[in-house]
Amino acid sequence: MAVTTTPRQKVGWTTANFVVIVLALFPVVWLLSLSFKTPTAVLDPSILPAQWTGSNYAGILTNYQFIRPLINSIGIDLIATLISVVLASMAAYAIARLRFPGKSVLIGMALLIAMFPLIALVTPMFTIERALGLFNTWPGLIIPYVAFGLPLGIYTLSAFFREIPWELEKAAKVDGATPFQAFMKVIAPLAAPGMVTTAILVFMACWNDFLLAISFTSTTASRTAPAAMEYFSGGSVFTVPTGPIAAAACFITIPIIIFVLFFQRRIVAGLTSGAVKG
Amino acid sequence: MGDSGRTRGRVRRGGAPRRMRLSRRRLVAVLAGAALAGSALAACGTSSAATGPVTLNFWFYPDTSPATNDAVANCNNQHKNLYKISYQQLPQASDGQRQQLVRRLAAHDNSMDILGLDVTWEAEFAQAGFLAPWTGQYKAEAEDGTLKPALETAIWNNQLVAVPDNSNTQLLWYRSDLVKTPPTTWAQMISDAEQLAKEGKPHYIEIQGAQYEGATVWFNTMVASAGGTILNSAATKPTLGAPAVKALSVMHQLATSVAADPSLSVQMENQNRLAMEAGTAAFELNYPFVYPSMKADNPSMFKNFKWALYPGVTPGVPAKVTIGGEDLAVSAYSEHKSLAFQAALCLRDKQNQIIGANLGGVPPTIASLYNDPALFANYPFHADILKALENASVRPKTPLYQVVSIDISHLLSPARGISPKGTEQSMVGQINNALQSKGLVP
Amino acid sequence: MSTTTPSTQVVTGTEAAKVTGRRGRAPLSEGAKAERRLGWMLCAPAVIVMIAVTAYPVIYAIYLSLQRYNLELPQQIKFVGFSNYGAVLSSPYWWSALEVTLIITVFSVSISLVLGMLLAQILHRTLFFRGTVRTTSLIPYGIVTVAAAYGWQYAWTPSQGYLSAAFNNTAALTNQVEAVIVIIIAEIWKTTPFMGLLLLAGLSLVPEDLQKAAKVDGATAWQRFTRITLPLMKPAILVALLFRTLDSFRIFDNIFILTQGANGTGSVSVLGYDNLFNALNLGIGSTISILIFICVAIIAFIFIRGFGTAAPGTNLGGR
Repeated sequence: MAVTTTPRQKVGWTTANFVVIVLALFPVVWLLSLSFKTPTAVLDPSILPAQWTGSNYAGILTNYQFIRPLINSIGIDLIATLISVVLASMAAYAIARLRFPGKSVLIGMALLIAMFPLIALVTPMFTIERALGLFNTWPGLIIPYVAFGLPLGIYTLSAFFREIPWELEKAAKVDGATPFQAFMKVIAPLAAPGMVTTAILVFMACWNDFLLAISFTSTTASRTAPAAMEYFSGGSVFTVPTGPIAAAACFITIPIIIFVLFFQRRIVAGLTSGAVKG
Repeated sequence: MGDSGRTRGRVRRGGAPRRMRLSRRRLVAVLAGAALAGSALAACGTSSAATGPVTLNFWFYPDTSPATNDAVANCNNQHKNLYKISYQQLPQASDGQRQQLVRRLAAHDNSMDILGLDVTWEAEFAQAGFLAPWTGQYKAEAEDGTLKPALETAIWNNQLVAVPDNSNTQLLWYRSDLVKTPPTTWAQMISDAEQLAKEGKPHYIEIQGAQYEGATVWFNTMVASAGGTILNSAATKPTLGAPAVKALSVMHQLATSVAADPSLSVQMENQNRLAMEAGTAAFELNYPFVYPSMKADNPSMFKNFKWALYPGVTPGVPAKVTIGGEDLAVSAYSEHKSLAFQAALCLRDKQNQIIGANLGGVPPTIASLYNDPALFANYPFHADILKALENASVRPKTPLYQVVSIDISHLLSPARGISPKGTEQSMVGQINNALQSKGLVP
Repeated sequence: MSTTTPSTQVVTGTEAAKVTGRRGRAPLSEGAKAERRLGWMLCAPAVIVMIAVTAYPVIYAIYLSLQRYNLELPQQIKFVGFSNYGAVLSSPYWWSALEVTLIITVFSVSISLVLGMLLAQILHRTLFFRGTVRTTSLIPYGIVTVAAAYGWQYAWTPSQGYLSAAFNNTAALTNQVEAVIVIIIAEIWKTTPFMGLLLLAGLSLVPEDLQKAAKVDGATAWQRFTRITLPLMKPAILVALLFRTLDSFRIFDNIFILTQGANGTGSVSVLGYDNLFNALNLGIGSTISILIFICVAIIAFIFIRGFGTAAPGTNLGGR
């Protein structure tokens, strides 16, 4: 339906957009400016660096061995997200659609895992990983990430799947589609936005993880980006390398921006079309 | 039933009875096993020559200067037939290093051979059985010519558990354009700063006042300079008393005077350095890393950047500054302990300590090096450092040091909240709890 | 072709197989059994992974909480029952940490809910630059928490940061109240996108026709919001609130970087971390963790029973 936009509405939405962008970005701009400042300019509270330097970025790519952790981060997180979303989708479908005993046990367990403080679990998990030879390997981080991403995934996806009108599938079958066709043509497009949103949430959770990354890795073989920032050092034992840390922070945001840019159209298109067609 | 019949049948039919055949098989197995074992043993005996040098994993803080890499390269070159040291990095923050080490040593990880320990960890690691003791010729080499307080940090239960690699201690850094003669006591320094404040000049005294190990270091220095100790020598109870009260009152005096930096309660060494370089401070109590940093960051201020010995608490009595630095220890779970001892001794030998001092900025632990001209160019303050190190105080040695330190630092920071008698009482109570492993850590 | 079968009738083999989603009571129909099996099979991988990874650590943590276990004194390990719990619950450090945690949780969750709702509206309806706004609003969520926390810390450092300079060079992080406010702001900034995203999903389920009909009937925007949108979004709101509250209660990264928990700003997680990793007191540290878990479980219980947050799958309706 055509909507006429009044000038007042235009101004209103533009202002709203502007406010959102500024609020979301000003701390990021600050980090960006820190990443371009020389070690002395770090003292300067102004937003724009008096002297611009690319040495922080050059440094993280060469001295600080940041490339490999970045690759580790992206690889481990993508794989963990994929596995987690697939497993969660299966479970969420079962929860939302089927009846079987033990459902509340499953949900309770998922909640329990989501709630249990990670700090207490780190040491015994470390012992297990060492015993299994998983310490400092990719699976050593992927498996815990999947396990901890599942509760979030199951909850979010069940909420989505509950809202999908399954009668459409039956209607499609009545119309002569095979179950597979019915699923692919009717259900999957409705489920896709939910799965993409869940994927984003799970990916972010893995991406942000610090405790597991620092505890289950010891070399750059599997160390991820947030943990790698712990290893940045300044000119001496006491110097905190503000510039390189800020540069690393900005650098690891780039994959996120790409990831979100790529997916946001998909999510929102699906989300805003509504699950129930008018 | 059928089986037994068959067995009996076989035996009766002739050929070696089953039991004998089994034992022949067993005999063959045993002989084969012996042959394998024998060859394995033989291989062991010649392994070092046949399979090349042993790789020793050296876990140390991430050194951005070339000092550690050079030391490792030197030792690998000199002993290429024996071993090859592989430098593995630990996190930058001291706490992070300790956690990594403890976590893996508690799991008996055998992939760690040489460990870089902060000087306060030896008691804890040794008590937990993580460290291999140094004996015989290795011990003698480790002790030879090493500064006494540095060696003191590596001894626990009358055993040498590590070898001092580098050291660190604080000096008083001041701006000679603001202060003509450096103060020799805290009282004098505070009054100098207050005078500067009246004149509207930069006047802060930079010291580490955040709630972390640095605050404990400050307190330890002050108590020792006032003539006391924090724990008794058996590390069974606190011995704070009058020297501690004196130390606390000086700290409180600083925190409540105009000389205190407003961010004192979140400041660590790095922020002190930055504040000094930014020009808001007149005095700084900090490690020598500030010297090359000032030279690089603020060359004009560098011309007036001078040093002196750490001010004392009692007039006429020199301060006993807390000693810092790193010791090298050998893991109890290492599979090449003997080589690890040798490698550790090499990593901290005279040549490598000079490199550490010049390139890495860390003071050596071998006394004679302080008279070595190779040191002078980068260490114009070498004489003062040596004096400070020879008179240094050691932090309390107990396996529960971390808890004791956390309790102390939480009572000291923010420093303006110190009440000399009250804080001393609280400290005694909390340290007692800590030593009995009672109660929580804040 | 599905036949409607009264639920009390026994349904025989082949017929039952054609009936999906309906089942007889006792005895179970073939269809129902197949449904059960399918349900279990679909859930099995997720369950197996979750159990395999967390069963032993959780049980071990509970076991440790009953021991006097200090890694620094390995010779003194012994079973002490619930005395660790007594020690923690009678310690002033625990209670002040709990207080700080609750304050941070309540404020950051409620404010980020309101802001998230606003954000969801904007993301849903904005006329221009949709892609840009949506991407930029997700950036705070995408930046690694520790990195953003460093940014905030430098920003609030006197004579170094622009925020501190804006407020007259205040050393906000040294003062308990001001530091907690800074922490709350950092939390809100980080988590509003997450709320916004979940609420956007809920918002998109509100049918446009209802809104239009109400508009035609003369309802104001506020009335439409409170009478139509909110009630229909209730499930999404509650799920978002539940997860956000659970996470916020366990806040750690921001506090750790900003203040290291100094000056009375430590949360219960920071307390647990200090006792577990710094003091190496595995007994007390595990006890604190279990107590955190109990608190979080109580919160979840309140949400699920009290507010009726949908525990998914409990209510299949007539589907």
